[in-house]
Amino acid sequence: MLLQIAWRNIWRNKTRSFVVICSIIIGLWAGVFMLAFSWGMYKNNIDDTVFKQLSHIQIHHPSFKVENESKYTITNTNKILQQLKSNSIIASVSARVITTGMITSPTTASGVKIYGINPSMETTQIGLDENVRQGAYFKSGKNNEILIGEKLAKKLKIKVKSKVVLTFTDIESDMVSAAFRVGGLYKSKNISLDEINVYVQQHHLANLLGLEPTESNEIAILLTNEEQLDSIKKYSASLVSKGKAEDWKELSPELGMVIESFNMYTYIITGIILLALTFGIINTMLMSVLERVRELGMLMAIGLNKRKIFFMIMLETLYLTLLGCPIGLLLGWLSINFLGKHGINISMFSEGLASYGFSSIIYPSLDQEKYIIVAVMCFITALLAAVYPAYKALQLNPSEAIRKI
Amino acid sequence: MAKTIIDAHNVSKVYNPKTVPVHAVQNVHVHIEEGEFVALVGPSGSGKSTLLNMIGGLDEPTTGNVIIDGVEITSLPENKLIDFRLHNIGFVFQSFNLIPVLTAKENVGFVLQLQNMSKNEREKRVMQLLNEVGLEDKVNSKPGELSGGQQQRVAVARALASKPKIILADEPTANLDSKSAGNLLDIMAKLNKEEKITFLFSTHDMRVIKKARRVITLVDGKIDSDVEQIPT
Repeated sequence: MLLQIAWRNIWRNKTRSFVVICSIIIGLWAGVFMLAFSWGMYKNNIDDTVFKQLSHIQIHHPSFKVENESKYTITNTNKILQQLKSNSIIASVSARVITTGMITSPTTASGVKIYGINPSMETTQIGLDENVRQGAYFKSGKNNEILIGEKLAKKLKIKVKSKVVLTFTDIESDMVSAAFRVGGLYKSKNISLDEINVYVQQHHLANLLGLEPTESNEIAILLTNEEQLDSIKKYSASLVSKGKAEDWKELSPELGMVIESFNMYTYIITGIILLALTFGIINTMLMSVLERVRELGMLMAIGLNKRKIFFMIMLETLYLTLLGCPIGLLLGWLSINFLGKHGINISMFSEGLASYGFSSIIYPSLDQEKYIIVAVMCFITALLAAVYPAYKALQLNPSEAIRKI
Repeated sequence: MAKTIIDAHNVSKVYNPKTVPVHAVQNVHVHIEEGEFVALVGPSGSGKSTLLNMIGGLDEPTTGNVIIDGVEITSLPENKLIDFRLHNIGFVFQSFNLIPVLTAKENVGFVLQLQNMSKNEREKRVMQLLNEVGLEDKVNSKPGELSGGQQQRVAVARALASKPKIILADEPTANLDSKSAGNLLDIMAKLNKEEKITFLFSTHDMRVIKKARRVITLVDGKIDSDVEQIPT
């Protein structure tokens, strides 16, 4: 009966209940959507980093990342690549030769990281060919072709077919200089890297460095299913006698931090929204209790004990909140799903975002787990918001309450 | 000799004892036997409602004690007192005081539900009570759809639902027209006669006073007279 009375009570003042329910719906929708939008931005960034830059796993010689010298190589690269390719969970693999050096144009020079790549492998690995804006992607087949970022080209004041000189040290620590011709200019989503990374043919760079054709500095692995990350990491490490396998979170710890800080962000934002809602709910319920002082006094007089009165007021608040919560979450889910497919174009801010590695089209997304967190927090809010009005009802004295008009 | 059902002994009530004390009821002794039909009369502010509230356990006397059917209710803890009221005392208030979101049937059944009566038994009792007060055709009407007199009859049916020993009514006819008031009084008198329920009601309505068999008059919180009469 109390369930029924509480339910009917919330509809006594339909406008008021409707306003509260709407505020809960809008608050939750906005909260969930904001989280999804932020996560969409971060996820985009993470996906770009993983799929367009790092790959899921990288294998290096244990000293390569410490000393940063090309002489620390993985041997038998071809055999390892073959073995990795035969695993169905691995989507693609590629081997790279890497060194740092100086790129010089007729007018200026800049420090660069030189990647010796197998062009066909990198099309599936990091989709490098998709980023080419001018010229072509290693179309000439010549050894001295180089692919550089648009931003670097601007800095060096060069264009496609311009001649540049790369200078670096070989594995014997001797200076090596070689002339290259710009085959294409690329633009990735991470402009800061576009100014640093340049790509040349792997076998040519290996030759210049003095490496054997079967030697490489880095093997990158992209998976079909990230859930198998740990097992593939172990498997790939076992294939390389002197190699250290690292996943993308180890390679880029700041991405791990992004995820952690986002989780914290979820609680803080949801907490703030729910706190604001709590005061709205308390205000409404308190008004509702104070309007019914006489009625509550009558209920106590005819035998409804205070525990049940408390329960009834709690129920009314819970009903209001539990009506608003699922609708708010559902609306949030629907809009996130829709915009998650179609994306939100924020190209007017694209330059600023791109310099931080963010894409100009955001695809909002939110894990199921986050919906559950928001729903649980909403339920807790409802309980907390219900306590004060219910407590006020408990303080009523039946005879005084009945006298009140 | 009839059994004593209400025994208010040397009861006083002082409001605002620490600031401006108001002596609403002063050293009152009321002794009522089972089956009596008693009117508590007096001018406004004479302490009728306060005395009624203390007898009903809604208010605590400043001094003195109230014994209902052998149980001293003034010493009962709050929850036991609420439970005692639920089983032993029915209330009819001046302003109807029904639960606005429940139908007449549900309002009457509410008390029975608090007593955990089974659904079938409850339905039977509710219908019987609404028949007795002449509202068998209004069982599914909400208080807002009933006239003042009908609402008060539902309140009487609710007060009777738990088969209480006493019904306390605080100015039950104050907001009723004379026809509705007459109807209500007839029902109360009939129930008193047939079911031996003790009625104590505060009033300054002459129609009600005439129906009572005993009239206690309060003036300035003290009993001025306590007389028996032949109802007319």
